Amino acid sequence: MSKALKLENLYYKYDKEFVLKNVSFDIDKASFFVLLGLNGAGKSTLFALVTRLLSLQDGNVKVNGFEIKDYKNALKNMGIVFQEPTLDLDLTVKQNLYFYGSLQGLSFKETLKSIDIEIDKIGLREKLDTTVRDLNGGHRRRVEILRALINEPKILLLDEATVGLDVKSRFEIIDYIRDIVVQRGIAVLWITHLFDEVNLDDKAAIIKNGEIIENGIISEIIAKHDKESLSDVFKYLTK
Amino acid sequence: MKSLYYCALGIIYKELLRFAKQKSRFFSALVRPLLWLVIFSVGFKAALGLAIIPPYETYITYEVYIVPGLIGMIMLFNGMQSSLTMLFDREMGSMKILLSSHINRNYLLFCKMFATAIVSTIQSITFLVVAYFYGVEMEPLGYILAIPVILVTSIILNAIALFISSIIKQLENFATVMNFVIFPMFFLSSALYPLWKIKDSSIFLYTVSSYNPFTHIIEFIRFTLYLKFEIESFFIIILLLIISLSFAFLGYKSKTTVSKKKS
Repeated sequence: MSKALKLENLYYKYDKEFVLKNVSFDIDKASFFVLLGLNGAGKSTLFALVTRLLSLQDGNVKVNGFEIKDYKNALKNMGIVFQEPTLDLDLTVKQNLYFYGSLQGLSFKETLKSIDIEIDKIGLREKLDTTVRDLNGGHRRRVEILRALINEPKILLLDEATVGLDVKSRFEIIDYIRDIVVQRGIAVLWITHLFDEVNLDDKAAIIKNGEIIENGIISEIIAKHDKESLSDVFKYLTK
Repeated sequence: MKSLYYCALGIIYKELLRFAKQKSRFFSALVRPLLWLVIFSVGFKAALGLAIIPPYETYITYEVYIVPGLIGMIMLFNGMQSSLTMLFDREMGSMKILLSSHINRNYLLFCKMFATAIVSTIQSITFLVVAYFYGVEMEPLGYILAIPVILVTSIILNAIALFISSIIKQLENFATVMNFVIFPMFFLSSALYPLWKIKDSSIFLYTVSSYNPFTHIIEFIRFTLYLKFEIESFFIIILLLIISLSFAFLGYKSKTTVSKKKS
């Protein structure tokens, strides 16, 4: 059975310095996977390769069985939430959604229809005609997540999606994401450096200086290194 | 095909929405050439005598001569404004949304340039209407034929602007573009004075001006407004379109393999 995402022996370098070295891991369909790493570990480069913002130098990326070079099929079933805010502040929520829908080849009507149920679940129905500039950070993030669901993706990638949000908003968002994994069978790659967003039964990979130094279920990684918590393991592995 | 249609529609929709929301952008784009038409040309026409040059069949006033150049000015500044927006989008991250779509990137970029060209065309036509009431009249059919010509030549300028935005690393460097690209492109052209006038003063500047793509764009618009068609100019415009689009697409091609050697 093909994986939702499969990275094989990825190498990437800027100038002469390798920022990714032999990175391999895969994500099952309808599962939640965490990529943990400090700033500068190579998470964003990896994200850019999977989303085709950067071209592969060496190695391979497969999305739902399609190689990333076959981007028409690989990206078609992918939802993306970037670390930086990517909404047009001067447009309303609905206009932003329409625009993104069109980039996915959908009409305005099809765009709203595709996320009709999720609009209520994520609590944005009454904000549809609000200009993004007038929304708080938490709501802006929700719009970006909602937008990423427009093309009914099979895999959702989120790069530090909760950075800068208050604790309540952070956990509301992560709960919502965990819920759609179960309810809609979407695979999720959750990239973060925040330990409190990770559960013991989550599958995860830890990246340090461009290399995957651990890969497995969090509770098993903790037990393997004979530590008390993920935080202890992380400090131990990244010191 | 349906998805490509919706994609183009969405990009044009967003560009027009932005344009509608930024009314100051519309007025400044209109006021700038009007200042040149109403004030600059009054002072300048006394110093500049014009001979009968194609496409004109009689002596013309300087205001009449300058109008196609001012349309070029609208298109040029609008293209650069769009380039600045792209640069801002790239710095802020929103450009990633466009570049990570599963639809062909070159097609998306073309739609973006086309959308900006529509805005430029609306501004140019508005300017022509204002110029008409100021007393600069063209052939009625010229106005109609000018629309597709302005649209296509705007795409050329937008493509140049897009390429520039792809090579500028920081937003702060945009002032450099103003000084080293926009102003030389505008002043070293036939926008404000005919090339033979430049030739009288400097052969070197004349040579540079005659190779300036902006000169060819302005002359093509000028000839069209007066219902004249030159096959040579037409092919130059087509060539410019192909070259500028190629550079724009190349500029936004994702970074590719340099070396496979592992450390």
